[in-house]
Amino acid sequence: MAGSTPGSGLAEGEPARAPAAAPVTSPRWRALRRAAGARLAPFGVAVLLTALVVAIFAPAISPYDPLKQDLGHTLAPPSRAHLLGTDNVGRDVLARMIWGTRVSLVAGFVSVAIAMAVGGVLGLVAGYAGGRTDGLVMRCMDAVLSFPPLVLALALGAVLGAGLTGVVIALGVVYTPTFARLMRGQVLSITAREYVHAARALGATGWRIAVTHVLPNALAPIVVQASLSVAFAILAEASLSFLGLGIQPPAASWGSMINAGRGYLQQAPWIVFGPGAALFLTVVGLNFVGDAVRDALDPRLLD
Amino acid sequence: MSLTPRRREHVTVTRRDFLRWSALASGGLTAPWAVRAAGAQTAPKRGGTLRVGFYIEAATMDPHLSGSKIDRQIYHNIYEPLLTLDTNLGIKPGLAESWQLVDAKTLVFKLRRGVRFHDGTDFNAEAAKFNFNRMKTEPKSVRKGETASIDTVDVVDAYTIRMNLKRPDAALPATLTDRAGMMVSPKAIGERGAELERNATGAGTGPFQFVEWVKDDHLLIKRNDNYWNKQGGPYLDQIRYRPIPDDTVKLQSLQAGEIHVMDYVQPRDVAAVKADKNVVVLDVPSLADFAYQLNHTRPPFDVKALRQAVALSLDLEQIVKGVWLNVGVPANGPIPPTSWAYDRSISFIKRDLARVKAKLAEGGKPGGFTFTMTTNNIPINVQEAEVIQAQLAEAGITMKIKLVDSATLLSDGNSKSFEMISYQWSGRPDPDGNTYQFFRTTPGTSLNWSGISNKEIDAILDKSREASTQAERKRLFSQLTRLLQEELPMVFIVHPIEPKAFSPRVQNYDPVPDGMMRFKDVWLK
Amino acid sequence: MGRLVLRRLLATIPVLLLVSGGVFLLIHLTPGDPIDAMMAESVDATVKENLRRELGLDRPLYLQYVSWMGRVLQGDLGRSIRNREPVIENVGRRIRPSLQLAALAMTISLLIAVPVGVLSAARRNGPVDRAGTTFALFGICMPNFLLALLLIFLFGVTLRWLPISGYVDPLEEPWDGLRALVLPAVTLGLALAAVVTRTLRASMLEALAEDYVRTARAKGLSEGAVIRSHVLKNALIPVVTVLGLQLGTLIGGAVITEYVFALPGVGRLVVDAVFARDYPLVQGVVLLIAVGFILSNLAVDLLYGWIDPRIRPR
Repeated sequence: MAGSTPGSGLAEGEPARAPAAAPVTSPRWRALRRAAGARLAPFGVAVLLTALVVAIFAPAISPYDPLKQDLGHTLAPPSRAHLLGTDNVGRDVLARMIWGTRVSLVAGFVSVAIAMAVGGVLGLVAGYAGGRTDGLVMRCMDAVLSFPPLVLALALGAVLGAGLTGVVIALGVVYTPTFARLMRGQVLSITAREYVHAARALGATGWRIAVTHVLPNALAPIVVQASLSVAFAILAEASLSFLGLGIQPPAASWGSMINAGRGYLQQAPWIVFGPGAALFLTVVGLNFVGDAVRDALDPRLLD
Repeated sequence: MSLTPRRREHVTVTRRDFLRWSALASGGLTAPWAVRAAGAQTAPKRGGTLRVGFYIEAATMDPHLSGSKIDRQIYHNIYEPLLTLDTNLGIKPGLAESWQLVDAKTLVFKLRRGVRFHDGTDFNAEAAKFNFNRMKTEPKSVRKGETASIDTVDVVDAYTIRMNLKRPDAALPATLTDRAGMMVSPKAIGERGAELERNATGAGTGPFQFVEWVKDDHLLIKRNDNYWNKQGGPYLDQIRYRPIPDDTVKLQSLQAGEIHVMDYVQPRDVAAVKADKNVVVLDVPSLADFAYQLNHTRPPFDVKALRQAVALSLDLEQIVKGVWLNVGVPANGPIPPTSWAYDRSISFIKRDLARVKAKLAEGGKPGGFTFTMTTNNIPINVQEAEVIQAQLAEAGITMKIKLVDSATLLSDGNSKSFEMISYQWSGRPDPDGNTYQFFRTTPGTSLNWSGISNKEIDAILDKSREASTQAERKRLFSQLTRLLQEELPMVFIVHPIEPKAFSPRVQNYDPVPDGMMRFKDVWLK
Repeated sequence: MGRLVLRRLLATIPVLLLVSGGVFLLIHLTPGDPIDAMMAESVDATVKENLRRELGLDRPLYLQYVSWMGRVLQGDLGRSIRNREPVIENVGRRIRPSLQLAALAMTISLLIAVPVGVLSAARRNGPVDRAGTTFALFGICMPNFLLALLLIFLFGVTLRWLPISGYVDPLEEPWDGLRALVLPAVTLGLALAAVVTRTLRASMLEALAEDYVRTARAKGLSEGAVIRSHVLKNALIPVVTVLGLQLGTLIGGAVITEYVFALPGVGRLVVDAVFARDYPLVQGVVLLIAVGFILSNLAVDLLYGWIDPRIRPR
């Protein structure tokens, strides 16, 4: 992706190119990866489940109202009353972190869902229709990929208003080409296969083939990519909030909490480290899940 | 080894302690003499490069074309205006030795002799006239508004000019203490034209002169050894300005000794910085006012009672304490406490929830109402908005927050597409600069974002420009302040203090409330 | 090969047209106006109007786009509205710090990734491998602004070993310049190292499993010799391509790092330009970044195709 560095969430860790260009053949290699996946995957799943539970049950779990200010007890260190201390207007950090889980997960999942849906459809159309349509769609995808994502997000944020919606849409747009390319590649390889020829020979129409044969088989790598992308989308939302985009106050996301707490790092580091740890653990856990999914579905990728 | 604490018989106060105590002891308006008195104990030393960190870099080196606040910081060291401000905001002679109001529409200035521009040419009446003409006629000049009341400037003799005004303008001398009064060498303008914006070599008369500007990196000025004022400085060899956009990094640079001066300490850092032995903090009360403009041209704030309901719901003391950490005072209006026009007897609007209920009913919304506040996406604005939201909620008013970046804020404000919008005015030494353009009826796009059009206010504003004595003007501005609290084109929140931070090596800094950092008499230990 | 290159180059033209149209539309849709932003405290409506007319900002959008594209095709990217200097000069001034930062970051990443990656693959599941994998994960998942904060706090404020802000050109003052670039380069380099380590480890493992390696081992060569003479070279290829791709993105993308460390790089240039609605600058820089990205992608594709004939790009 043009203009995005690792650690910002906008560059997806590894380019999608590397695995495809280095075909994996050795049985020893496959076994290794599965083994590695087995150890880490449970941790990742545990993190993901915890995050989901926290997000869904936030109102019940949260010790305080995350918006309740207490200007008499600002920047209070962690104590029995406030397990993670209070922020600069006296709000409970733990409560805001718990509620922030919702925002981060929404940002991550919705943006990737948008990218999957839009990218998937585009890739399907391009791969299936071929010719000029294919060329046009893929040129558009290349254009989006060449566009610096940070500029795109900033500009969209200014146009749509700097709320979570703008960020989610911007991230959706940024991740779309990846899914489009993936889907197109899958479509091209699957439609070349024999059973599709056979289905056509038996008289099935284009749409039926697309839905019954192409889609189910194409889904696997899409899901793999999606599971990895969610982690980075969550990271990206945090990066964007550094530049002033994202959730509107007084609501909090982990990224905006870190950003707001930056200035108080020396006096009250818990404001940064609480959400920072949550962000880091969630992203790590989701990465594990993504890796495990990729390993589990690996053999199919080789076709 | 004794187990009892030693009694201090003889207490020596080091200069650093003195500075620290006076800085800590003053909660609000500080005694600026503290620094100068301390510095006066030893003789100033010549030499050294002062490193200054600002949040952005200058935009242009041509004072007539300048619109940005940071530019002024540098200008006040290399250029000089006809008149200057002292620590109490009094107007003193600058390049003009004296001035006289011959009649309501005529000002005569006697200019200082023996002053040379850095390029060697003389400063005289011809040069002054040239400058004013340029401000009024140069197509890109940004000073046209400020010099609007000047009709023509005549050269009476080599060192005297007469300014003929279109209308009486009591605020003009104060305006001439800033960019509108700054004298640029006509030779430099003639030779360099547009390039003057990048390269101001030889263009000013000030204690320092321009050396170089490496864009995005630093701006360097050096001592003018031929400066006309032989009293005091300049002592420093050079001053190096560097832009450091990130507040936290700027402060850390100061603490680590990489820079010696920084222009602004965020309220949240003030307490910690004051406790730091490596840094000296000066509380400089500013001319600024921070407020929220209310849009009079559309609902809900076209209804006066609802505006008043909002104003009465706010607890300004809580905001200043909780958000500004007492680095500022609650505002009773647009005029800051440092100004001679400030009326101590008018209190800021105090919270009164009972009256809010009455005002809501009066405005036809007894059950409360909802509106949106547009504000800038910087931490302190966000925090203030959240506190205000909570305060209004207690009064039954629902406020939504819309965060935008600066360009969008300006656009929304200029086009009056807002209900309540945050506004920060850096302030001018004359109260007219904090009031006229905001509250005078002005059709079209202007700084009167609220759209207020009130005959009484208009009359007061016009009269204040024509009034002949300061006492009379003061009376008028008091009247204005009361009216503004009634009509509420803006809800005023705070007059901030702009704390400046220095390395302990910096001696003899004289803080003027306009916030401009003048380094003429400063020296490095 | 030559025909292939030409075909690919021609294919980039529609992409660049789309990018140019996209950035033009996007930046003009954002609320706010560069003149208002520049002259926020001034009331002079006539001056502002004159300036707008002079810059052509009062004409309909499609006309502005056409005249801008016309000039671009002649090689003129226009002038920044704020400092009235040509866009090319603005970028030129900023490219050096960005390139130096990128180069140093990539060097640091290689210094970490090569030993860790090789050892991880050579001794699978050994302590180095475990630590290396953990570190790699850490690097990818760590938000880079958090890392920057921690580094500044540790090395700049507490230990006072390194300067925490500002840029000194290492080509002019080597020692001071390098010291000033270390913290930001480490911030970027650690995350990059994580990516490179994973890639290198994966490709090393794959290369180690190849048949020719088994043959070499059967011939009696030590593990170390095998790695050095055969495996490493092949395993490094994907690494080089990863780095090549990253170079294209590092130039315009290290915005947060540049902000936090006050480095005058290209990333900050374009973000500041967006905030100030400096249309020509935003448009020009985005176009240049896109061109750079496309060219580096093309170079990588061709490199791959040349090295591994199995994967010639179609």
